[in-house]
Amino acid sequence: MIKLNCPACGAEVEFRSKASVFSVCSFCRSTLVRQDMNLEKLGEMAELQDDLTPLQIGTKGQCDNEPFELVGRLRVAYDAGAWNEWYALSGDKEYWLSEAQGFYAFCRPVENSAGITRDSIFAGKSVYVDKLGMMDIDDARDVFCLYSEGELPFKAQLGRRSFSVDLSGPHLKMATIEITDSEVRIFKGRYLEFDEFNFQNLRRIDGW
Amino acid sequence: MAGESDKPNLEREPEKPKPMARTFSCPGCGGNVVIRFPGAVLSCACEFCHVVIDVTDSNYRIIEGFFYKMKGYEPFVPLGTRAELKGKTWEVIGYMVRSDVASSYMWEEYLLFNPYYGFRWLTNNGKHWNFVTMIKDKPSETKLFSGAYVFSASLYERKFKLYYRGAAKVEFVTGEFYWKVKADSRVEMSDFVSPPYMLSCEQDKSEKVWSLSEYVSIDEIESAFKLEKPLPRPMNYAPNQPIADTKVSSQISRMLLGAFLLLLALQFWQVCYNPETVVYSDAQAYRPNDKNAPTYTTKTFELTRPVSGVKLSFRSDVDNSWLYLSGELVNDDTGETYPFGETVEYYSGYDGGEGWSEGSRTVSKFISAVPKGKYYLNIDSESGDFRTQTPQQYSLAVSQGAQVNGNFWWVLAGLLVAPVLSWIVAYSADSIRWADSDYSPYRSSES
Repeated sequence: MIKLNCPACGAEVEFRSKASVFSVCSFCRSTLVRQDMNLEKLGEMAELQDDLTPLQIGTKGQCDNEPFELVGRLRVAYDAGAWNEWYALSGDKEYWLSEAQGFYAFCRPVENSAGITRDSIFAGKSVYVDKLGMMDIDDARDVFCLYSEGELPFKAQLGRRSFSVDLSGPHLKMATIEITDSEVRIFKGRYLEFDEFNFQNLRRIDGW
Repeated sequence: MAGESDKPNLEREPEKPKPMARTFSCPGCGGNVVIRFPGAVLSCACEFCHVVIDVTDSNYRIIEGFFYKMKGYEPFVPLGTRAELKGKTWEVIGYMVRSDVASSYMWEEYLLFNPYYGFRWLTNNGKHWNFVTMIKDKPSETKLFSGAYVFSASLYERKFKLYYRGAAKVEFVTGEFYWKVKADSRVEMSDFVSPPYMLSCEQDKSEKVWSLSEYVSIDEIESAFKLEKPLPRPMNYAPNQPIADTKVSSQISRMLLGAFLLLLALQFWQVCYNPETVVYSDAQAYRPNDKNAPTYTTKTFELTRPVSGVKLSFRSDVDNSWLYLSGELVNDDTGETYPFGETVEYYSGYDGGEGWSEGSRTVSKFISAVPKGKYYLNIDSESGDFRTQTPQQYSLAVSQGAQVNGNFWWVLAGLLVAPVLSWIVAYSADSIRWADSDYSPYRSSES
């Protein structure tokens, strides 16, 4: 764990993952970018209106008996909706928990992007993902970052644009491809029921 | 309030509790619009003037005016009601009336929400209720030939048969929705049934969504929502309504199977360990056309089994005539008698170029439940052979342990009555269920 101080307000900013290069100060909401042991302020994060997620930073859960903890969140939006991508750590292993309309998918980065480009997404209705096989393309759309908090492995400033592709296969297998100007990142995993995660330290939702 | 089962562990207070509901004036009519779950929904319909509003837009833009001041439909279950269904608490947040484009047949859909578990639907179709879960699983579709006509779908080894295919459109909405509701949005729908479940596929230009419905009884709906007014009861079967109480019928079939096995065992025991044995056989001459033929009395013989069926068999080589043998089986000890009277008759001839025959040269008489003891037979004979007086002969045999095979078959038929009847009931209920479908397996493809 790396502990640094916010250049704007002096509060302590923790980086639990060595891969994290971005953080939002939980006190002054400054968006911070980390270069080695140096923190630089990029801007400020607005408060998120209408946030109705049962998850929060610090929520613990497990998938296939592997415990994890949520350390960062990215909320992405498109013209007809929004969803949350939670950055999760299990030791020093990185995972993502995707949460959309009550559906939860747990996935991990795929090392080999196997030559997938934005053009290959349009080539057909399915795409080959390393070690998963052929996956159906459910959705492909331009999205932007609506909100971010905690620590994240890329610069998740407001308005960050990317092209997001949702893939699915048999037996609840899923994959996500995120294409930005500079890179192609692929994640693979599966859909799970809320209760299967055995969540702890959930956010309290008034009246529920 | 939420039940214990769906209350996940909460250990930390939120850093800053946020007000959940949001209130604003309707841009259509100025009425007070309350959004209970902003952040989870994208649009809502004003309960007064029914315009659809984009709740993610800071100016609350109207995105659909089609339902403006439309005469509303009254939901059975009011918006904002919470109910415990399938072990979790759900709040009714949206109400939608949809219709089949071809037939204008309408049904209701209630959108349910739980912040932890997301959205579910409760549908009311022809007074039948279903709890609907959207699924990420991809059922495998079986297509006819190579065409686009899908006639069945499978999910986790369960096969669902096509029941309905058509296009659906939105007739009316009120409440909150997780997408931006449009009046002109049509979807291609297919329903596949396997009671009590139904798989539904909704497809538009951009996506294909599968959902799994489970039949819910009206009693369950009434008690879950604590409705004061009873819901209307359906008169027909729903596509995925379970027909019989399968638990009871499986109990009955277990009993029937037991009875069947017992019957088989008894029959097996009878045939293998208690076979029919001949205890006495004899042959006796008789003179046809003799009015004064004496009564023939056999020697005594012994029936050794406690109680047994007795078979008397007679044979005579009659030819175009008959021999009537009558008399009684007599218990030598008690004098109890068992009367009999059998005719051996056989006719044959050649008529119009074809040979024919009628009757049989052997005949037998079954006497049931004869106790053990010493017995003899008294036999009188009368012959129908009037052309001759040459002595003829008949033979006889007495068997114990005889049985009527018919008994076995009658009991078997009796055992089959209940299953056959229940199958007929289930078959007719199932064919009634399919009567409203264009894809009924009970209808020939030509019709």
